[in-house]
Amino acid sequence: MSAVSVKNLRKSYGAVHAVGDVSFEVEAGEVFALLGPNGAGKTTTIEILEGFRSRDAGAVQVLGVDPGQRRTQRWLRSRLGIVLQELAVEPYLSVRQVLARNAGYYPHPRPVDEVLDLVGLAEKAGERVKTLSGGQQRRLDVGLGIVGQPELLILDEPTTGLDPSGRRATWDLIKQLESEGTTIILSSHYMDEVEALASRVAVLARGEIVAAGTPDAIGGRDSGMVTIRFRLPDGVSAADLPVPGLPGTGGEIEIRTEDEVSVLHRLTGWALDRQVGLPGLNVQRVTLEDVYLSLTRSQDDEKQEQR
Amino acid sequence: MTSPPPATSAPPAPPQTRPFSGLRDLRLIGRQVGYEQLSFWLNPVAAVFTIGFSLVFLILLGASAGSSRDASLGNIKLIQYYVPGFTAYGVMSACFTGLAVLLVIRRETGLLKRLRLSPLPTWALLGAVFISTLLVAFVEVILLLAVGRIAFGVHLPGNVGAFVLAIVVGGLSFTALGAATSTLVPNQDAAAPVTNIVFFVLLFLSGLWFPIKSGSGLAKFSGFFPIRHFITAVFAPFNVQKGASPWAWHDLLIMAIWGIVGVAVAIWRFNWAPRRG
Repeated sequence: MSAVSVKNLRKSYGAVHAVGDVSFEVEAGEVFALLGPNGAGKTTTIEILEGFRSRDAGAVQVLGVDPGQRRTQRWLRSRLGIVLQELAVEPYLSVRQVLARNAGYYPHPRPVDEVLDLVGLAEKAGERVKTLSGGQQRRLDVGLGIVGQPELLILDEPTTGLDPSGRRATWDLIKQLESEGTTIILSSHYMDEVEALASRVAVLARGEIVAAGTPDAIGGRDSGMVTIRFRLPDGVSAADLPVPGLPGTGGEIEIRTEDEVSVLHRLTGWALDRQVGLPGLNVQRVTLEDVYLSLTRSQDDEKQEQR
Repeated sequence: MTSPPPATSAPPAPPQTRPFSGLRDLRLIGRQVGYEQLSFWLNPVAAVFTIGFSLVFLILLGASAGSSRDASLGNIKLIQYYVPGFTAYGVMSACFTGLAVLLVIRRETGLLKRLRLSPLPTWALLGAVFISTLLVAFVEVILLLAVGRIAFGVHLPGNVGAFVLAIVVGGLSFTALGAATSTLVPNQDAAAPVTNIVFFVLLFLSGLWFPIKSGSGLAKFSGFFPIRHFITAVFAPFNVQKGASPWAWHDLLIMAIWGIVGVAVAIWRFNWAPRRG
């Protein structure tokens, strides 16, 4: 059974269509990413899943219930972990006090010491929250999201504002929660984050899903154009190559092809016959970033046309 | 996106949680009040502003003008007027300004939204804030009466029932007005200045620092607002004026009407998420 099911979701704020006809399913136990630029409708979609915002149309089920249904809201919220985009932590209490307070809201909380270890705040347990750095407060925020041992954890841009080591620590935490069976929905505008964490991704632009799939197949990444790069071996000119190549950046040869298997076969066969190497040989698919930019670029173009 | 959703067996009916489930929920709110108290007393600025100001004002005014007598109040010592006045002020600063500023800051920093999305029911979340506010007001009342009695030798309320009623009605009404005011303040930078300016102007015009002659234009003006009625209602149970009733029903009624208006505005305008962005 899907942990989350969204069908034909629509939401407008006045004349602004924040979300228009979005559908997706999140299977129990997977990490699902919503990727998109600011204003694409990620947060609105997430807030509807959390039951914070009402929807205009469409069917939404979270852990088998409608998040907009008041009668089951308390039940649902005891099984959800939520980390909002905006940092929100009680300033005057200590780290341990805040975690202990929120642990008491849930029927089966995770022990506070375990949460402190998971988010790397064990040494800061006795400190007032307002004395923590921004990154530490963000980690506490994530800790508050997992203290209830949620079945479904919703993270709205969880690593925005974190330094690289803080990001990596949050990634490790998300991977650990995934291995424990937690279903995770995260929004992000970092391509590497989605690639490292998500089993499936939906790209949102202008309030619509413009592509969906696994991060390595999305937007036709697993097929289509591939770039092969290498440096010319000594004593060989570009004209000697068995396949036509263009001089690329840094004195390299670049070959763009959709048929990389046969091109590589001819190229390496030729090199073996000639007993030369292909220094710096590198085969690169379209990056997720390329796909993302091409999928979401039209948004800016349209805006410019409107001006 | 176009493929039909996988056929799923009907999910088991989720347990429906009642909004209130007895003893466990009472413990929950008690616990939440405890954390609210902790948060209040660990914030020195809030504690000093809310608790300290009324004490300092009472001591300064009492020491400078307390022993002079006022003809319009039946020739009693002014300190006997200031103690009830500042008791009312203390309750208002906890329930009205203190609460309004707290709610605006919590809303604008996202704390209200954060707790709203926790399993803590809304009534427990807001109820604990209101109960905690009333507890602070109660502490203030005790402190002010103690200072008045010990430092200035004023009479304590002769009619305890009428005094408690006035404090309770005032506390609840100004809590409602504090919650209502928080919905009218757009951002956290404006919270303290806006509420304090409104509050102090009305306090001044409502006769906190000097008794207002009944029937005067100022009495009519301030009679429209709840502050003067609160001061009057707290003053009456001290039984220091010969022949006056300790039960200020008229004043309590007007305060209660303001309180109901406050509840209505708060419910109508209440916002969990930050106003900006």
